[in-house]
Amino acid sequence: MLGYQNNILRINLTKKEAKTEPLRMDWAEKYIGSKGLSIKYLYEELKPGIDPLSPENKLIFMTGPLTGTSVPCSGKLAIAGKSPATGTICDCSIGGHSALKIKYAGYDAVILEGKLDKPGYLFIENDKITFEDAAELWGKGSHEAEAMLIDKYGHDYSVISIGPAGETLCTMACINSDYYRQAGRGGMGAVMGSKNLKAVVVNGTGGVKIPNIKEAVKRIAEIEKEDTLQEDNTFVYDGGTTAFLEACQDGGILPKLNFSDTTDEDWTKYNGEVLLESLEGKRGCGSCGLGCGNFLKMGDVVCEGPEYESISVAGPNAGNSDPVAIVKANQVADDMGLDTISAGDTIIWAMEMTEKGIHDFGVRFGEMDKYIEYLKLIARKEGIGAELALGVKKLSEKYGGTDFAMQVKGLEYPQYEPRGSWGMSLAYAVSDRGACHMRAYAPNEEVFAASIPPYTPEGKGEMVFNLAQWNAVKFSLCICDFWGTLNMELMAELMTLATGKEWTAADMAEVGTRVINIARAFNQREGFTAKDDTAPKRLFNEALKNGPGAGQKIPEEAFEDMKQQYYKVLGWDENGMLPESLLATL
Amino acid sequence: MVITIKLRGSLIKYFNGQREKTIEVPLDCSAEEALKLAGIDWPKIENFGFVAINGKRVMIYDKLQDGDELKAYSKISGG
Amino acid sequence: MSDANVVFTLFFVLRQEHLERMNGTMKRLKFSKEKCIGCQLCAQVCSAIHEGMYIPSKARIGIETYYDRGGSLKYKDSYCTLCGICFKNCPTGAISKDDRIKVDYEACTGCGVCAGKCPKKVIKIIEGKAYICDTCDGDPMCVKVCPQGALRFE
Repeated sequence: MLGYQNNILRINLTKKEAKTEPLRMDWAEKYIGSKGLSIKYLYEELKPGIDPLSPENKLIFMTGPLTGTSVPCSGKLAIAGKSPATGTICDCSIGGHSALKIKYAGYDAVILEGKLDKPGYLFIENDKITFEDAAELWGKGSHEAEAMLIDKYGHDYSVISIGPAGETLCTMACINSDYYRQAGRGGMGAVMGSKNLKAVVVNGTGGVKIPNIKEAVKRIAEIEKEDTLQEDNTFVYDGGTTAFLEACQDGGILPKLNFSDTTDEDWTKYNGEVLLESLEGKRGCGSCGLGCGNFLKMGDVVCEGPEYESISVAGPNAGNSDPVAIVKANQVADDMGLDTISAGDTIIWAMEMTEKGIHDFGVRFGEMDKYIEYLKLIARKEGIGAELALGVKKLSEKYGGTDFAMQVKGLEYPQYEPRGSWGMSLAYAVSDRGACHMRAYAPNEEVFAASIPPYTPEGKGEMVFNLAQWNAVKFSLCICDFWGTLNMELMAELMTLATGKEWTAADMAEVGTRVINIARAFNQREGFTAKDDTAPKRLFNEALKNGPGAGQKIPEEAFEDMKQQYYKVLGWDENGMLPESLLATL
Repeated sequence: MVITIKLRGSLIKYFNGQREKTIEVPLDCSAEEALKLAGIDWPKIENFGFVAINGKRVMIYDKLQDGDELKAYSKISGG
Repeated sequence: MSDANVVFTLFFVLRQEHLERMNGTMKRLKFSKEKCIGCQLCAQVCSAIHEGMYIPSKARIGIETYYDRGGSLKYKDSYCTLCGICFKNCPTGAISKDDRIKVDYEACTGCGVCAGKCPKKVIKIIEGKAYICDTCDGDPMCVKVCPQGALRFE
């Protein structure tokens, strides 16, 4: 099939060897690329039970058949490995330009194996691969490290790097690229750090071929104008995810004070209108179209973002309404190489622990100087940061407060309160990498909808499955979430244009289901079952006090009911396990 | 009674780019009926999202009271 | 002045007038950097149309944005303004210009004078030939795909 480079770059960091091999096209036909294909490689190549921070783990940078083409929103790179935060499979989708550079360098994927004997970085320029010393970069913030590498090589190069959090093997460590883009969740930065790999610098000057390119380019341009750039998607340019704040506030799913309630009367102090007063410019990823990035200068703080998640966690969820502190916390977390969600959730959990007198972590709601200081301490595992770096799950097992430890499988909660969106509790519970909002975005269907009731388990299994299947296909094509109107038919057309092989909407849906299944099979092999598909007790026991969902809590039976519905749609058994017949299809 | 309708997202095209309008509606009017009076027939709008009364999400058939602010959002996707 | 010289001067003046008139009405690429999101779709489709593959390194346009050490947003704006400097300086006469630039690849020796003089750094010498924007014969694809209207042809 065209669209692919049919070439994988496999790097053995232990031996400092680089080899190429053909892409497993039989796997590509079943899993397309990016999310699906990286999981397939890991499923086949990782021994069950390995320590995610050992040299046995692999880190895969995977592109897709649309990467490097003019298909809008196709510039994202999947970064996948076994997660040190959860022990599950973990694939992230990072923006910037690195995916395109890898593809133009001639590779569908870069598979990183083993471990460097000392801190280094990898340099890739077309077929030239070198292993460089990173003594000067080690310990530096991600932004400074990237700047030093760009100073050396120039702006044609893309840098993928980790901050101090990745170096200290903090399981909340993200991977950065293009300064402000992250593979945020699941501790992929720690996997990179465990390999002593500070950065990957990449440039490619080659090309990507697709069939009948002149006609295809014109058709893709039409799709861009007619579908991508319709007003339902272009809100992304106007304000990006800051627009979610008002919708989540009105929808009753904007969490407050470590998810103890919803809605915040101060939300207009830090909403998009306020933040965008400091807008310096807009920036998108390679092959974008929508340009979600808001580059802000606020006082002495410079940052692209903050996104909705980072606003919520350092805003209402931390008892803070100062927009400058929100932007500052975002900028520090990015530079330290920390996932804003997991690190933020850990600090707000510690705030509640302190407020409740269960354990004094020395930080209370609203204390943003400490929030920001703690981010640095967590990243470097210094002082109290060494303890907080454990994350909410392990901390609550040690100090108590499990009822309000907002996490699933060790991954902290994103910023959508499930008591106001019951399907979201299911989406978090069954997501392949722990609590994640990017696997099935339930509020879309049950909160931001005129006639669907959010406070019921009815139909939620199928609803979450449909959303998960759609995202699994989209992320396997490596298309950005923000192309929200992209349906299966159009995805099939784009695949047909890029590969020259006829794809139907049904084929795409089948891939989506298969991707959900293989991710589950990976986790099943690691020992995960239905008992790990959990929700924090707070959702069952404490009713919301404010907002449209006031009085709502999720009955535990309703939660279990939703889980069983979901398993049934996928043909899994009551214990959430894939039967042999399904495993055989992977 | 009099209510204010505020539009969000791509729905503003139904008010010719204006973001809000104050209109007179009958007593016991639902959100759905009020929108229809303002020229917004939501089931016919593919990308219609949800409605909120006074900053709280409600079902489309919920009733309004005098002086209420009814907000209508276009569909939201992504996170 | 000899007759031949008069004819030549007259020809030159008329030609110059013609060119200036063309310059006034001639459509050319315009770029508004404040609208650019740095997606580089322009370079991708340029190469796709001219080279038969997506290969931005061979594109005849190079518009990019980048963060300068993370602290400020910078723009690189290489696009052909049809200034004609390449045409005026081409030592072999391979470059001609009317409402667009054309390169006669038989005559082009890849000497690189045009690339050296190009004020927008658009021109690349690849495999011994000058790669210059031809505005896709007056219907530039880069403008069609520019998602935010940063590139216009007018």
